[in-house]
Amino acid sequence: MNFSLFLLAVFDGIAYAALVFMVALGLTLIFGVLRILNVAHGSLYAIGAYVTASVGAAIFAAGFAPFLAFPLMLIAAALIGVVLGGPIEYLLLRRIYHRPEVLQLLVTFAVFMILEDVQRQIWGTQPYFEATALQLLGNVQVLGVYYTVYQLIFLPLVALTVLIGLRLFLRRALAGKLIMAVTEDREAAQAIGINADRVFFLTFVVGAALAALGGALASPTTSVLPGIGADMIVLSFAVVATAGLGQIEGAAVAALLIGLGRSFAVYLMPELQVLVPYLIMLSVLLIRPEGLFGRPGARKI
Amino acid sequence: MLELRQLDAAIGNVTILRNVGFMLAEGDTVALIGRNGAGKTTLLRSIMGFTDVTGSIRFAGQEMTSLAPAHRPGLGIGYAPEDRRLFSAFTVEENLKLPVQVAGLGAAEQAQRLERVYHILPELREMAARPAGNVSGGQGKMVALGRALMLGTRLIMLDEPFQGLAPALARRYAEALRTLRDTDQNVALFITESNPALLRSLADRTLVIERGEVTENLLEPEGQGSDRADSTR
Ligand SMILES: Nc1ncnc2c1ncn2[C@@H]1O[C@H](COP(=O)(O)OP(=O)(O)OP(=O)(O)O)[C@@H](O)[C@H]1O
Ligand SMILES: [Mg+2]
Repeated sequence: MNFSLFLLAVFDGIAYAALVFMVALGLTLIFGVLRILNVAHGSLYAIGAYVTASVGAAIFAAGFAPFLAFPLMLIAAALIGVVLGGPIEYLLLRRIYHRPEVLQLLVTFAVFMILEDVQRQIWGTQPYFEATALQLLGNVQVLGVYYTVYQLIFLPLVALTVLIGLRLFLRRALAGKLIMAVTEDREAAQAIGINADRVFFLTFVVGAALAALGGALASPTTSVLPGIGADMIVLSFAVVATAGLGQIEGAAVAALLIGLGRSFAVYLMPELQVLVPYLIMLSVLLIRPEGLFGRPGARKI
Repeated sequence: MLELRQLDAAIGNVTILRNVGFMLAEGDTVALIGRNGAGKTTLLRSIMGFTDVTGSIRFAGQEMTSLAPAHRPGLGIGYAPEDRRLFSAFTVEENLKLPVQVAGLGAAEQAQRLERVYHILPELREMAARPAGNVSGGQGKMVALGRALMLGTRLIMLDEPFQGLAPALARRYAEALRTLRDTDQNVALFITESNPALLRSLADRTLVIERGEVTENLLEPEGQGSDRADSTR
């Protein structure tokens, strides 16, 4: 492997890690607070990508300014969080918090399957590709290697902003404090007047919006087609499990580890590309079943 | 002000409280004595809304049984659970302020309530900036009491507050309760304990709970504690 290939692998890994991280962050936040592993998270990612790509294509064809690609991503993510994430929590998950985990998993899996069909109904099976945002930011040359600014700088910057923003929100904003309090001790939180139902709702909407934001940000870098949601949920689950369930900063580290592992596999052993993330997860979990940063029994985010 | 009538409470499918009925008036200090497993914690948790109940719990002229748990503290109820149950990621002062922030009280009112707590528990002022996860067990009990005081303008319920406190700290805790009583003659105090000796000087009435049934204790509390001294863990 020569040096420029090495660099390319590193850049691919970072860009991919930034996307996976965003989705994994939503997944781990929801798990940390609601104690539910939300398989439908993958659909929210896919729908974020579909909405951004199709609406983007439509508005740019109608002559709107290309820079609108960026606000479009944010709006799509927020809308999907509220319009899809809201009802999923309010109408479904709320009824099963006290049920066995197997049942919870089955319910979110059912939602995932339903949303997969909905996607096929709305967007069909042909791929969508809308790269205005990527083209707008151009390329950059690093040590002789050309790479897109969007993937090398913009995506990691957004991921970092989301990570720091979420941490500050949890630590400083009242709504964030309520999330932390309910996570640590639901009954004690209610005993000081915190409405745990509302906190669960808010958390799920924020987590869902993060999945959709991941999809929106991914859409300029890849063809949007059936199956991307399934790929992403398995991969982000690998990240979350590697980091330790509910670990926010840990998810960033695990995403980098898995992103880099995957991109080096692409260059060195392409036949293992799909397998490497799970090999990383397995080897971590064999040594530390609670994940790299997890503490057994701790209820914290 | 607080009136329970024919209250049964269940956790899961198990009925734990049976036909509980008693009253607390404004300004009362009432001890609830019972050995381990008698149902003291379950009774307080039922008043806070954490069990399935039948019967009636009236508070400040309002039926509370149909009120969601999160809406009860705002009526003026402060509750310090058995274990400290502080929010460990927050500082001591953040723990104190959270209840009044959630209740949406005005800034002036929030500051005034905090001052009241610091007046009754001056030691909390020195701990204010420390993470609540790092204070000692005894200090944590003081913080939990302070937190209960923030919303407890009408009723304060303390679940075995003296449990696990070293004698000096237990005296200090009792002193703080006396300061509270001196500054506020109207608030009702409802305190559980397995060892009645600890509350003798504080309570003006004693209720006894045994296997989920509450009876008013009409005798002097003397002599009751001796055979149960072993029940303090
Ligand atoms: N979550 C629960 N599920 C089933 N039974 C419970 C539960 N919590 C308490 N109990 C039972 O209810 C009864 C009363 O328990 P409770 O905790 O109210 O007693 P207590 O008087 O507070 O005891 P202690 O002095 O040990 O704190 C006990 O028999 C206990 O086993
Ligand atoms: Mg108890």
